[in-house]
Parts: sequence; structure tokens; C-alpha cells
Amino acid sequence: MPKQPDDQRLELLQGTLDMLILRTLQWGAQHGHGIGQAIRARSDALLKVETGSLYPALHRLVKRGWLTAEWGVSEAHQRARYYRLTAAGKAQLLREQDRWAQLVDAIGRVMNPAPAPKE
Amino acid sequence: MRPHDDDLDDEIRGHLAISIKERIERGEDPASARLAALKEFGNVTLTRDSMRSVWRFGWLDQIDALARDLRLALRSLLRAKGLAATVVATLALGIGANAAIFSVVRGVLLRPLVNRDEDRLLYIRQLAPGIGAENLTFSVPEINDLKARVKTIAAFGDFSTVDFTMIGLGGEPRIVKAGVVGGSFFDVMGLRPVLGRLLTPRDDGPEAAGAAVLTYRFWTESLAGDPSMVGKTIRLGPRTATVVGVLEPSVPYPADTEIIANIVTSPHHLGATMNTSRTHRMSELFGRLAPGATIESARAELATAYAAIVRAHPEAYSPRSNAQLSVSRLRDQIAAPARTVLLVLLAAAAVVFVIACSNVANLILARSVRREGELAVRAALGAGSGALRRTLLAESLVLCAAGAVLGVVLAQPLVAVVARFAARFSVRALEVTVDMSVVWVGAGLAIAAAVLLAYVPRLPSPHAPAGLGLASGSVRITPGTNRRLRIFATTQIAFSFVLLAGAAMLLATLVAMQTANTGYDMRQVLALDIPPAATGTSQVMTFYQELTRRVGRLPGVTGVAEGMVVPWRDAGALPSGIAFAVDGYRPADGEENPRARFRVVSPRYFAVMGVPLVAGRDFTDEDRDARDLVVIVSQSVAQRLFPNGEAINRHMWWVDPYFGPKPVPRRIVGVVGDVDDEHIVRAPAMAVYQPVAQVGFAQRLFVRASGDPYALVPSIRRTVRDIAADQPVERAATLEDVRAEVLSPDRLNAFVFAGFAGIALLIAVVGVAGVLAFSVSARTREFGVRLAIGSAPRHLLARVLKEGVVIAAIGIASGAAGGFALARAAARFFDHVQVPGAVPLTGAAAILIAAAIAASLMPAARASRVDVMQALRSE
Repeated sequence: MPKQPDDQRLELLQGTLDMLILRTLQWGAQHGHGIGQAIRARSDALLKVETGSLYPALHRLVKRGWLTAEWGVSEAHQRARYYRLTAAGKAQLLREQDRWAQLVDAIGRVMNPAPAPKE
Repeated sequence: MRPHDDDLDDEIRGHLAISIKERIERGEDPASARLAALKEFGNVTLTRDSMRSVWRFGWLDQIDALARDLRLALRSLLRAKGLAATVVATLALGIGANAAIFSVVRGVLLRPLVNRDEDRLLYIRQLAPGIGAENLTFSVPEINDLKARVKTIAAFGDFSTVDFTMIGLGGEPRIVKAGVVGGSFFDVMGLRPVLGRLLTPRDDGPEAAGAAVLTYRFWTESLAGDPSMVGKTIRLGPRTATVVGVLEPSVPYPADTEIIANIVTSPHHLGATMNTSRTHRMSELFGRLAPGATIESARAELATAYAAIVRAHPEAYSPRSNAQLSVSRLRDQIAAPARTVLLVLLAAAAVVFVIACSNVANLILARSVRREGELAVRAALGAGSGALRRTLLAESLVLCAAGAVLGVVLAQPLVAVVARFAARFSVRALEVTVDMSVVWVGAGLAIAAAVLLAYVPRLPSPHAPAGLGLASGSVRITPGTNRRLRIFATTQIAFSFVLLAGAAMLLATLVAMQTANTGYDMRQVLALDIPPAATGTSQVMTFYQELTRRVGRLPGVTGVAEGMVVPWRDAGALPSGIAFAVDGYRPADGEENPRARFRVVSPRYFAVMGVPLVAGRDFTDEDRDARDLVVIVSQSVAQRLFPNGEAINRHMWWVDPYFGPKPVPRRIVGVVGDVDDEHIVRAPAMAVYQPVAQVGFAQRLFVRASGDPYALVPSIRRTVRDIAADQPVERAATLEDVRAEVLSPDRLNAFVFAGFAGIALLIAVVGVAGVLAFSVSARTREFGVRLAIGSAPRHLLARVLKEGVVIAAIGIASGAAGGFALARAAARFFDHVQVPGAVPLTGAAAILIAAAIAASLMPAARASRVDVMQALRSE
């Protein structure tokens, strides 16, 4: 696994962790450790999710009804809690993706303004 | 839905296991893999706590957590019993004093009366500040005039007090104090009967049958609440009356009487003087606001009506008396005399509470410094600042709750003491009882204190290097903590100073009054009340002459005289200044006639009382001729009106209409020293004395004894009884004891205040001692080093003592500054705010400095005895 020096690592934007978790779980049920690893791997280790944020976030999403959790046995033959997307969670993911796209677009316009149309 | 705590642990454990397994698969050795996984995970406890907090909903969990913290707090406080006991006792004092005084304040000042619509019930007072009359009461013509003119008051009720000899209702004939009222009185007052009926307008007038109502207290206490009393016939002096009912329990105002009867029972009330003389004032006046009227509109209308009455009857209202009406709610009228005293007490109690709180804050702060190690460990293990704060809050809650419980228990007897004290000022204090309000006040104060105390200590910052605290567990005192400790100690001193200065001022006033030279011989003169029987003047005079002659012959008696007033005790029984004129002195234009006290004394009075005769002669038994009326004047009269010393044989005459329409000249035969029988601290008082024989009236006997004056009382009493078998002899006391008796409210004031100041001083001493002891124990090493490099132990001693004195000095200075500001602010709301003089202030400061030195002695001695080797090795 490629290692990234700490200073190249990116801070997660406020409010994006929930979206990343929901997105990760689109491929199927996963436990907390797996979710953390998946986010890290998919971001080429640029994003690292602190467990101190990840687990409270998972529980928060369960509480809001976007995830369900059940106990299972992991690949390490360990008892682990698997999280799965609910229908409401899927809808929420779509909403968040839309909002994220709008946000990226808006920020992009501010940062790289299109050249003024010529007369 | 909600995961169990074990599940959270399991989930974290699972995470770690997967993480470790992955690392081992990548080739790390198991030990370092485990370490790396833990390191990567971060703070396990914190993570679990935040997971759990996701599931928290609201206050139920908070309570659950608090309950756990409370149990923990209880256990940890049981390990620090001394501290806990001090804190609880201090808080209990503060809370108890406040709760007790608040109950009395509430009972006396705030609680409504039982009377129906009591806020529409008014008390109307006629006063004449020009002649020093606070409450003149009303005459029947005045009441009738007001009734005819005023519309904002629906009905007036009148009440006058009469003593009756009552026969009936079982037992001996006895003197009862009775109210005599018009038929509208009970309806105006809004009172109900508990038995039978009350008086109504049908009981008015000379033709009605005599009717009387028993007051509840008399009925229950003297008649055992016997319902058969209603319907009985009683004799009241020459008249008879039927008991028609029993009044409900109510505040006895204006007088605590045993019965209340209708007009017809009192011959005097039916007489011409009562009904036609405008200046024969003996009725208290109450009014009930008409529907829609307010107290302001009633006040305005009454003032207008009264002005018209005054204009219509110039002979009855001298312009100088500045007569006017005062209208207040009955409730306020009853409570008014107690208001200032109670508010001052409440302020004193609040100050004690502040002192108690800052002392407790000090102890808590010192404790929290000692346990900084513990807190640092807990913070390192992941306790958030909220959790730590909650732990501290739990501890202070336990302490404050215990303090509140003890304080409320303490408040019960205190309420009785304070109520008895306040009863001197307002009858309402007699009905004050301990009720739930004590508990509420106690609980409120305790919660306030608890929250305050929880925010006193600083929490260890999670970012600060905690290594030292963790490693050594020793006490380190930071400058910040030290400063806080000192601020609290200074606060205590400052507030104690305010209380001490107040108490010292009251004591100084008291001492000044008790030791003031009165001009009388205080020790050897016995004063007795011998009220004249209601017989003709000549019999009274013969009785007194005979009495004086016989008492004068008793062994141990060196002089006997008669008089009209016992100094101070009878102050206010006579008007304090009556206008007179003398020949040879003409007041300048616009200047009023001089005024003097009118006193009646027998021959030898001045010798008996120890008042020096300055010029001329004393009265003699021959001064009885109505054609040669004589007077003796006091020195200030002689000096002011006869500056050339020619007072003897000049004439004076009263010009007040009270002495008749025509001035009667009286010859001045003597001049005596100034005495003041109205004020204990003497003010130059102009007085004119007339001989008993020429006035025909006396009621007090003064006996000068060679030995113990009280030993004479039985033989004097026997002598009186020999002459007149049913003549009462009352209130025998030396002048010194009369003064003490008159001063007893002042003494009680000083005593109560000194009690508060004593409590405050005690707490402050504990506070200062605690701060210094703590500061010394935290600086053991510093002292060790100082000793090692050659400091003499007494220098260390002096150093610590100086710290104590500095705290006290700063406290006193800020207390003095705050106290003066407070006095100035208070002066805007109250009439009689005094700033203590230099002596009480210095005294209070000296006491505090001495207390501070005493409090610093023990810690100072400890500092000077620090074992050098041990101190240096200890870290």
C-alpha cells in the first residue's frame, strides 16, 4: 500500500464524511474498518478517516435510518458490525451527490472564471 | 435499536483485531502490529464516548450520568471528611441565615392579610409634623366631615381603644382592653366571624343594645374556645352587652384587644365631648376603596377634602402644626416599622452567604489543586472537559445539598428568634411560621452555590503537558490558582469588614447611650408607677401627701418626691414643646414663641433626682396658693430668655390654648440644671416645672434610697396598700434600669448584628488560615531552599504573617470603599443611614487584622519549621 507523507494528506471537508460513507456502502455491506480502508484506498491514500470521526458518524447514520447494522463475522474470523445502506440512505446519497456536484461546480466557477465571451 | 455499551466495545475490539491481522499479514511482528493498530486508532475511550453520545437523547441520560457522578462524588468526599464537614457547616450557616430571614420577610412584608380584598383596604392617618405628632388619630366631627366629602372611599370604619372592667364569662372581674367600633368597621375591614355574627350598622346609636365580639385569641386562649360563650351577657363597667360572636383570626391592628364592642357600651363615646369636640381625637380610621377608585385617586380626594376641613375650622388646626393626612394600604401600614430592619437583616444575611460561598470556593479550589493529578489522569484517559466539569459539579452538588439540608434544619429555630425580634416592630411577625418557603430558598441558594463552585477550579487542559502531574502526583500551585485563592480570601475580609463595622457602630452607639451623663442620679433613685384612682382631685392630693409622708419615714429612704413622668419610659406621653412667653422677652418679628416641656413635680423632686438647683429655691409645701402660682425653669430657659441672669421673680405664661383661653402668669422661683427626660443622650431641653399641689395631678413616685433601692419595694408597696387597699403599684425600677429597658431594642439590634458579624469573622478567619496553610504546604520546597541558603526561620515566619496581613489590609480597604458606596446608595432609599465614625471603623479594622495575624500564625510557624533535607529531597 503506497504511503503518503502526512502533509500531503487532505482534511475532510465538513459534512462530506457522511456522503463518503454512504457512497462506499453502495457496493455492499461493510464493517467500520473496511469502510475506512475503502475510502483511503479509493482516494489513493489522500483521504484518511480518523476512527474517532468514523464510528460516531456510522452510529449517527444508523440513528437517522440511512444505514442498518448487524453483527457478522469478518474475514479475520472476528465478530464485526456490518453496515448496510437502506432505501432512505440511497435517496440521501443521491441528494448529497447532487448537492456536492453543485458545490464543486459553484466553487469551480469562482476559482476559474470562464473567459468573457468575445463580441 | 440503541446499541449496548458492550456492543460498542465489541465493535472497537473487532476493528482493532482486523487491523492487527492485516498488519501481521503484511509481515509485521505481532507485538508491534498491536501497538501500531492502537496508535492508529487513537483515543479509544473518547471514540467510544462519542459513539455513545450519538445515542443520547436529552436529559434522561444526563441524569443517569449525573447520578453516577454523584455516587462517585459521595465516595470521594467521604475520604476528605474534614474538608467536607467544614464546607457543609459553612454553607449551612449561610443558607440557614438567609432562609430564616427570608421567611420572616415574606411573612411580614409580602404575605397578604386575611381580610377580604385586602389590597383595597386603607389606613388613614392624621399627622402634624409641625408639632412632632406622627399619628394624631381622628375626632368624630373630623370623621363625619370626611364621610360627607369623600366619594372614592366606599365606607369608613373607626376604632378606638378603651379599658373596661369586665364581669362575666367566668372568673374574677378583670380589666380588658376593648375596641369600640362603629357598625361599618367589620364590613370595611372585610373580616368574618368564626361563630355567631359581627357588629353591623344596626348596632350603632345610643338606643341599640350592647353587643360585643370576642377576638379569636381571647376566645381560644382565655376561654378555651368554648362555643357556649356566644349569647352570654357581660357587664362592661356600668353597661351590659351580649356576646354576639367570635372574630376570625386576623392581625390585631391597631390594637391587640380582647373584645370589640359597639358604641353604646362606652358612655364616653355617647358623650358630648366625643361627638362635638373637633380636637378630641381618639379614633383610628380605616377606609375601603370604592369600586373603580385607586389609592392615588383616594389620596388626592382625601387631601382636597382635608384641606377644605382645615380651612373651615382654623381654631382646631394651627398653621404651625402643618396638619395633613397620610393614606397607606393597611398591609403596608402594619409592616412599615419592620421594613427597614428586615431589609437590613436580609442584606446582612446575603453578605454572610457571599462570605460563606467564597470561603467554600477557597476550600474547593485548594482541593482541586491537590487533585490536579487525578484530573490530569482522567483527561489523559479521554474524559472530555464536560465530563470533568460534571464530576466537579457533582461534588459541589453533594456538598451544597448537605449544606442546604443542614441549613434548613438550622433555619427552623432561627425563624423563631428572628420573628420574635421583628415582632417588636410589627405584630405580623407573631404569625410567621416555618413553611415550605424556607426549603425553597435553601434549595435555590444551594443550587446557585453549587453551580458557582463547579466553575471555580480550572480544568487541566488536554493539550498541556500533563507529564509532571501524572508522574509526581505532588501539589503544584500555579500563580493563577494562588491569585484566585487570595481574591476569595480578600473578598471574605472585605465583606466581614462591612458587617463588623456595622456591628461596631451599633455597639458604639449603644455604649455611648449607656454611659452618657444624664444629669440624674441613676443608681439610688427608684421610680414607681402609682396611677391615681379615678376620684376627685382633692382625694388624690391627700393620698399622695399621705403616701409621701409615710414612705419618707421608712428606714433606708433618704428622700421622696412625686412627679408626672418617669424619664425616658414615659417619653412621648406629654407634648414635647408648648409655647410660652415671659415678661421682658419679646420674640422678634416672625419668630415663634419659645417652647418648653411642661412638667409637674413635688417639693424635693430635684434633690431626690440629683438635679442641681442653680438659682432661687425649690418648691415647698406652702406653694399651694392659687393666687401665687409659681414655676421653676431649667437652666436653658433662664440662659436663653434672661441672658442677664435676672430670671428669678419674673413671670412666664403658657400661650397654648390647651392651658385655657386666658394666659395665667406664673412667678419663676428657681432655676435647675438641664436634664432630658425624653432622650437618653441629653440634648439641651427647655423645661418648666409646676408644683404638684397647684396642678392637682401626679402619678409617679420617686424614692431615693441609701442602700439597695429594690430592697425598699415591699415596704413601699405595703405602705401604699395601707392607705388605699386596691391601689396598684407598678414597674418599680431604678433610673439605670429604666434606661436599660428603654435601650433594649437597640441592644437587641446590636446583638443580632454582632451575631452576623461574628459568624462572618469566624468564616473569614477560617478562610485566611486555609489559604495561607495551603500556600505554605505548596511551597515547602521554596522554604527549604530559603532555609538552606541561610534564611533565618523567623524571617520566613514574618514573611507568611505579612502575607496574611496584606490580604487583610487589601480586604479592609476594599470593604471600606465598598461600604461607603453602599451606604451612599442606601441613603437614597432609607432615611436613617449612618456612616460609622472613626472609632468603630478602626475597631473593626483592628479586629480583622488581629484575626488575620492569628489565622496566619499556624501556617507561618509551619513554614519556619520546614525540615530542610526533607523539603529538598521531596522532589
